[in-house]
Amino acid sequence: MPRVLAPLLVLLATMAAAADDGMARLRASGIMRWGCDISGGAPFAFPDPSDPDRVIGFEVEIAEELAHRLGVRAERFSADWLALIDALEADRCDLLINGFEVTADRERVVAFSTPYFRYAQQLVVRAEDRDRFTSLADLAGRPIAVLNGSASIESLRSAGVPPSLIVEYDDSLAPFTETVIGRVDACLQESFIARFFAGHDPRLAVVDATFDPGVYAVVVRRGDDALLAAVNAALADMRADGTLGRILQRWGLWSDAQRELGTDRGPIVATIPEAIGTPPEDGLPWSLVLWSLARAAAMTALLTIVSMPIATFVGLLLAIAILHGPKPLSRLCHGYVLLTRGTPLLVQIFLLYYSLPALGAWLGIPELLTWNKVVVGIVCLAANYAAYEAEIHRAALQAIPQSQWDAARALGFTRAQTLRFIIVPQSWRLSLPAIINDLNSLIKDSSLVSMIGVQELLAVALGIGKASFAVPSMLVAAAAFYLALSLLADWFGQSLERRARTVGALPEPIHR
Amino acid sequence: MTTPALEAQGISKRWPRTGAVLADCSLRVERRTVHALIGASGSGKSTLLRCLGLLEPPDAGSILVDGVLAVDQGFVAQDRSVRRSVGMVFQEPSLFAHLSALANVALAPHRVLGLDPDAARNRACSALDRVHALHLADRRPDELSGGERQRVAIARALVMEPTVLLCDEPTSALDPLLTREVMAVLRELALDAGTTMVVATHDLDFVAAAADSVDFLHAGRIRMSGTADLLGTRGLDDELDRFLQRS
Ligand SMILES: Nc1ncnc2c1ncn2[C@@H]1O[C@H](COP(=O)(O)OP(=O)(O)O)[C@@H](O)[C@H]1O
Ligand SMILES: [Mg+2]
Repeated sequence: MPRVLAPLLVLLATMAAAADDGMARLRASGIMRWGCDISGGAPFAFPDPSDPDRVIGFEVEIAEELAHRLGVRAERFSADWLALIDALEADRCDLLINGFEVTADRERVVAFSTPYFRYAQQLVVRAEDRDRFTSLADLAGRPIAVLNGSASIESLRSAGVPPSLIVEYDDSLAPFTETVIGRVDACLQESFIARFFAGHDPRLAVVDATFDPGVYAVVVRRGDDALLAAVNAALADMRADGTLGRILQRWGLWSDAQRELGTDRGPIVATIPEAIGTPPEDGLPWSLVLWSLARAAAMTALLTIVSMPIATFVGLLLAIAILHGPKPLSRLCHGYVLLTRGTPLLVQIFLLYYSLPALGAWLGIPELLTWNKVVVGIVCLAANYAAYEAEIHRAALQAIPQSQWDAARALGFTRAQTLRFIIVPQSWRLSLPAIINDLNSLIKDSSLVSMIGVQELLAVALGIGKASFAVPSMLVAAAAFYLALSLLADWFGQSLERRARTVGALPEPIHR
Repeated sequence: MTTPALEAQGISKRWPRTGAVLADCSLRVERRTVHALIGASGSGKSTLLRCLGLLEPPDAGSILVDGVLAVDQGFVAQDRSVRRSVGMVFQEPSLFAHLSALANVALAPHRVLGLDPDAARNRACSALDRVHALHLADRRPDELSGGERQRVAIARALVMEPTVLLCDEPTSALDPLLTREVMAVLRELALDAGTTMVVATHDLDFVAAAADSVDFLHAGRIRMSGTADLLGTRGLDDELDRFLQRS
């Protein structure tokens, strides 16, 4: 999806080409906002398996060192990897450090610093195929898994592998599990990732030969020349004085090939345990993990609790406008419902978070249209669900017999009064079960806002799961939290229904 | 001559698909009298009452309520005070399903007349009392019998103290026993309280006992007008004879 949108976003960003100097901004704020996807797994930037609240990784250390040398503080910005470049262009962050391979395609859109890491492509096959598949040629005609958006795809394409045999996955672990299961016969990725994920798995074998070397570099906006120059100067120092070499060694990423970038190895340091890529010996620190999940569940609950009442109320207004509003308003609201229901929530979230700021910059009101990600999440969920609730309300409003309207009119009620005191209290009872049903799906749909880096339940569970090789158990744990939230929603719904039923026994509307 | 409570002149109405339903209907209802509308099913009684109740704009004609022009050449006045001076009781009670009997009656005094809740409740209680339904005040509509529901609906209309109360076959949805109960209430309202009413009905006993004037509607026209004595006549009009024979 993001790639489909990319041209549109780039267009918006170019319109926005306010291109104020990022370096001046950095100095003024004293903060370097660096973008990464913390659910991308080790060793880039990922939740520490022994303390899921901390984000660690070699790029975290590079970012902190870089900020230090620029004389500012590093502040991490997280979002889905595929959305990071859009985030950069929407000025949600100043630069990206997250395994961005320098490619000609990307250079058309963004600017790259000098490299900080050299990688090569490496194949991983099932252990029993170790002798059968020793090169790409041996795999001719067989499906090969890759991480989507990665340079491995280009590697395979230029080696003549037909697109139908290149199977892309959204998740860095998936190519390995798919190889183990046998849906594909091999996976291709950057060599250190191959070693990290497959090196300790007896079911997998890393093919020795590496090919198609490439480099990672810091990404900045095009035209942000002062920032780029400052980053390059700092990186040059880090390469030369052994700082970068030391970080790479700590993370088990050092190889002599790094010297080709001018990187000095520096003093010899030991590789830290988190970098080895083995599951934690004594299992997950469950109390910490559950605490993280509980807080993520609170975020999910917050998203739901705020957006669903808004959606319900706005949906009611939409339904009333559609049924009883003047024709232009009715058409407009109907159009809104069709448009909102007919487009994916993910696209709406994406546009609101990344394109609205660009539009704001173009209009000269960037602050007004650059919303916090939780706010964007709530607005999107509420606006999207309002369209569905509108249809529920519409059906319920139409189910109230015309005779109720006649009776009210004969008593002298205005249309607005009739709706408020007679029709809506009755239609509300009819619509409640369907609304509670939607409340339940909203709880789960709220996970889509992780696309823009909101740390809700599913994103946190996946992040911890990937970093600690425990995705299935983390998913089960997340599901348990979802179930709890959903049961809570049902209980709430039932008490609402009970209340709605008892209203009639009292002379309720004339209560003070 | 005193101003009539309700006066209609030249009311005509056609429904989009059904065609002409009312043609040049005129009637005059004096204060404190009961006016009965009789006629076969489909003759246009409900349509005429909906026009008189200002729920449906006629295509032509005018309606005066207490001397005030409410419908002029087919256009309905938007003034709510005129609208609420005509009370309406429908074939189906159509009580507000989410409210207790008391709240059904008290809602309009509170929200439309702007009375405070206690005053509205007091007024509602006395209206319920007039239809002998005070003991039902706290029941929900679905806890009432058909006759009780219709009595509450009558109270709901009475509480607004309308100049004229229009009743559209208020018992046609009820069995004979409940019919008697509702008609007794209407008779009492008419004879003892002097409520001005227009009642469309098949209940010729009620007409004989309570109606001061009668209009016989046939195919959208007022074919015969007179007093309740009309019911005793034979040979004046073929259609009326046929109607009386069948009822
Ligand atoms: N809302 C409506 N739309 C179209 N035709 C209607 C409507 N209401 C009544 N009619 C038609 O008008 C005629 C008179 O109906 P009505 O006034 O209900 O007669 P009555 O109450 O005497 O039985 C009937 O032919 C009926 O089919
Ligand atoms: Mg009728």
